[in-house]
Amino acid sequence: METVNTLVNAKDNTLMAEVSAGQVARLAVLFERYHRPLFRYFVSMNGDREQAEDLVQEVFFRMLRYRTSYDPAQSFTAWMYQIARNAGVDQARKRGSAQVVDIDTYVDRRAELVSSSPGPEESASRGQDLTLLRRAIGQLPEDKREILVLSRFQGMKHEDIAEVLGCEVGTVKVRVYRAIRALEQIYFALEKEKVS
Amino acid sequence: MTCEQARLQMLSEGESQDLTAHLASCETCRSELSRIGALWQSLDLLPLEEPSGKVRERFYEMLGAYRQGLAAAEARPVRRWWTMPVWQAAAAAGLVAVGLGIGYGVRDDRSRPELVQLREEVASMRQLVALSLLQQQSANDRLRGVSWSYQVEPSDEEVLNALVTTVNHDPNVNVRLAAVDALRPFTGSPATHLIARNAVVQALPRQTTPIVQVALIDFLAELKERNAAPELRRLVSDPDIDSGVRKRAEWALERMQ
Repeated sequence: METVNTLVNAKDNTLMAEVSAGQVARLAVLFERYHRPLFRYFVSMNGDREQAEDLVQEVFFRMLRYRTSYDPAQSFTAWMYQIARNAGVDQARKRGSAQVVDIDTYVDRRAELVSSSPGPEESASRGQDLTLLRRAIGQLPEDKREILVLSRFQGMKHEDIAEVLGCEVGTVKVRVYRAIRALEQIYFALEKEKVS
Repeated sequence: MTCEQARLQMLSEGESQDLTAHLASCETCRSELSRIGALWQSLDLLPLEEPSGKVRERFYEMLGAYRQGLAAAEARPVRRWWTMPVWQAAAAAGLVAVGLGIGYGVRDDRSRPELVQLREEVASMRQLVALSLLQQQSANDRLRGVSWSYQVEPSDEEVLNALVTTVNHDPNVNVRLAAVDALRPFTGSPATHLIARNAVVQALPRQTTPIVQVALIDFLAELKERNAAPELRRLVSDPDIDSGVRKRAEWALERMQ
């Protein structure tokens, strides 16, 4: 009885170490914790819900497949996003494109999502700004979009992002700053375009 | 601190005294923080995407298949006849008939515990999922957790306790209502029926929402739970209670006679 509560509240690293040791059912707890953030990461990166769902499945499959390579001293989220990035790159390669998705398609898909997501009162008050913001995110170069998604939408620590991207923490700070500056420029350019 | 250092600090977690001191003396960085900070905050307003239910279904299918594969791989004999010397192979061939007869028996004895173990592990996985979902922030997830609870053995006290907590404390009426229904299988299990019946009796005075009160009263009437009679009488005589609830409590008392 107590074991189950302990498991539900267990730390990510402990759970993954147990999966690695053969108790693969424990992956269910990690799935319940992370399938949404992963789905949002992929949707933010490629704007395609169906593809994002396939990729979430692929990430958890790879976790099982490479479970013995997990080092419990490593951050679980950093390890998971490394797998996620590789899965995204592999899928893009399979589709024969250098980028995960071209920017026009991305923006169109984001626009579809925006039109279906918020409630009517939300749309009335800030829908236009959010549409612009989404468009601006869609127009960011992929590396800037990714670092923004990881640091802001996924709430990852700079240390973990550094591990995922294979760079120094200082570099992450610089890149986050540059990404938000780039977003600001695109956002204001779009706003200007809308007014004129 | 230089302006460049200050800009890198702006989007970092936590407060920095150096940054505060720099901002107090630098108008350019204050204005930058105000602009960039507003944009950074507005990213929070973007609605969160939700995956479809298929993602969960596919994951559990995949996990189940993987576990079956693991169990089958572990059960596979490791001895390889072609690596044996010829005379050993010949002797083994001579014993094939006997081996076949015994082999079936051995296979049965060997696979049964594995199947039992697999079944137990799947049951424990279902329990984990139900418990995990019942603790989620989203009401939809907690509703899914209630649905998953039907897949666990009704003798599972841990899930029963989680459902009782949901009935008593969940902020969402629909989740509470679904959890009341989900207690039914537990009242039919010899291992948990006393706890479950008692939980329904205890839950009634805690509820203030008429629709949940009525659901509990119906349940108590169905169980003919006489221990609930004092609380039902209290409801009938309390003028502040919703009239529909009072009538239902009166009806339940009559039914219990």
